Amino acid sequence: MTVDPTYLLQLTLNGITLGLLYALIAVGLALIFGVMEIINFAHGEFLMVGAYAMSFALPALGLLYWPSVAVAIVVTMVGGLLVYEFLLVRLKPDEFERSILITLGLSIVILHVVQYVFTANPRMIDTQYGFDGVDIGAIRITWTRVIGATAALAAFGLLYLLLKHTQFGRAMRAIAQNREAALMIGIRPRVVARNAVVLATGLCGLAGAALAPIQLVQPGMGQFLIFKAFALIIIGGLGNIPGAIVAALGLGLLESWIGGFFEIAFQEGAVFVIMILVLFVKPDGLFKRGAMRVG
Amino acid sequence: MTTDRMRAVAIVAVALLLGALPWLTTSNYILGIAVSAAIFTVSAAALNLIYGYTGLLSFAQLGFWGIGGYATALTVMTFGGNFWLGLLWAGLLNAALALLIGYPTLRTGRHTFVIVTLTFALLVSLITRDWVDLTRGPLGIANLTPPSLFGFWFDTTARFYWVAWAYAMLALGFLYVLCTSRIGRTLVAIKQNEPLVRAQGISPMPYKLAAFAVSAAITGMAGGIFCFHLKVIDPLFLDFYYMQTFLIMVIVGGAGSFWGVVIAGIAMSALPEILRFSDDFRMIIYGAILLIAMLVMPGGFAGWLHERKLSRMRAALQQ
Repeated sequence: MTVDPTYLLQLTLNGITLGLLYALIAVGLALIFGVMEIINFAHGEFLMVGAYAMSFALPALGLLYWPSVAVAIVVTMVGGLLVYEFLLVRLKPDEFERSILITLGLSIVILHVVQYVFTANPRMIDTQYGFDGVDIGAIRITWTRVIGATAALAAFGLLYLLLKHTQFGRAMRAIAQNREAALMIGIRPRVVARNAVVLATGLCGLAGAALAPIQLVQPGMGQFLIFKAFALIIIGGLGNIPGAIVAALGLGLLESWIGGFFEIAFQEGAVFVIMILVLFVKPDGLFKRGAMRVG
Repeated sequence: MTTDRMRAVAIVAVALLLGALPWLTTSNYILGIAVSAAIFTVSAAALNLIYGYTGLLSFAQLGFWGIGGYATALTVMTFGGNFWLGLLWAGLLNAALALLIGYPTLRTGRHTFVIVTLTFALLVSLITRDWVDLTRGPLGIANLTPPSLFGFWFDTTARFYWVAWAYAMLALGFLYVLCTSRIGRTLVAIKQNEPLVRAQGISPMPYKLAAFAVSAAITGMAGGIFCFHLKVIDPLFLDFYYMQTFLIMVIVGGAGSFWGVVIAGIAMSALPEILRFSDDFRMIIYGAILLIAMLVMPGGFAGWLHERKLSRMRAALQQ
């Protein structure tokens, strides 16, 4: 079988964009799991809220891209803060199932309120960049994609610096590594958990804002992505941030390649098959918790 | 008569009364709700077995429900078998899948189990949509032939109700016997204190796997019956709405309480019909019920009653 190199390059670039998007979502989930040992089911809905915020901010701000992204991130961060203060703060340690069911209820409410208010019709949104793009050989990539991917990379860089070199981030890692020891040296788990939730929802807001100009904005857009993000944090190892990023990029590439040559059913099934195989071989995920762990 | 025997007599009387429903009403609307109530209650009771008793929150029930529906529908419409053979397939296929997913997943923690089952449910819904050659994709399979037994066709809602009723009685009876047996008590022990169970020389894995497989088979067969009630199956059969319904029944009724879940199942099947809102509004209410129930009474109604009884006993002791 001969493969057209241009086609392959295009699939690869698409795969990287997709992988970065998965990574933004999965990193937030891994961060929250690391600190609170819970799963936020409503994570996809935060992404959707970010995309809707972007779609309303853009026309209001004269199609300027960056201010609208900032609005979307702030909106989701405030949402994250409210959710933490009103719901998640009531969870005691080791109430994993309860956390899932509470955030599942929240996810249903957010999804259907948005659908009720704005209807299920997809929204197309335009930015200052329109559909301009860069040409690489025979391939054309729109600016919105390039910028989205760059913003994701920048966010990971910032997150790394934050976790590695600030007190704010070190406290998160301390709680994740050893809750009791962190308590003993005076780290307040409540504050750290709140920071982690707000940070994670902010990343989701960024993902939603970056995604809004690339695809249609609709109420179900988050739910579709969140299931894959769940699988990714299992593959990467629960609570392992670098693991989640690597798994997300790998899956993005793999899905894009499979989608380019096989039927769509195989593309959708890939993540599940990989997850089950990983669980058979390495039950703790590909990147077992240990020295590599940052979250 | 002792209270136990009076209770047993009451239960049999209620069951027979429910079975006589088609003679008591001719309304297809009410009988339709009764079919849903029977099927949803059985599915909720199956979820209760794995979540309420064993302590493993399984979202895979939705996938089993869908696979059961498609297995039964395809057996009849594509492979030329009859309805009963289709149900058998639905049960066997789901039990086998549950073992296949359960074994690698249950070796790790409860957390992994929840997430893997969730992803499985999504995978099944994507496959029903995308594997067009087998499932006919979004178009679905319409005009499912009604089942027949010894020349008797269950072709009206009233007649089909008996299929649903008989299945509900068999499945609930089986689950009741299972849950109150030594196996059921072992499952509760695994939920409450797994290291202690191991220390007693009992390996938890076979028990967990068996509970998951039984719950999968029962949910799958329920799905198989329900799609013949709808007379059509398409990817919407895997709408998350069904999973939410089962979950809400278990949580409102009280996870780990057999009768709590059965009563909640019947009550919550009638509720959406009484609250006739638009679909979105109904879902908002469902989400809010789930959220509030988990926040204020995580033990459900049965758990709340149990707490009250305990506090009354404590108060009596202090006097």
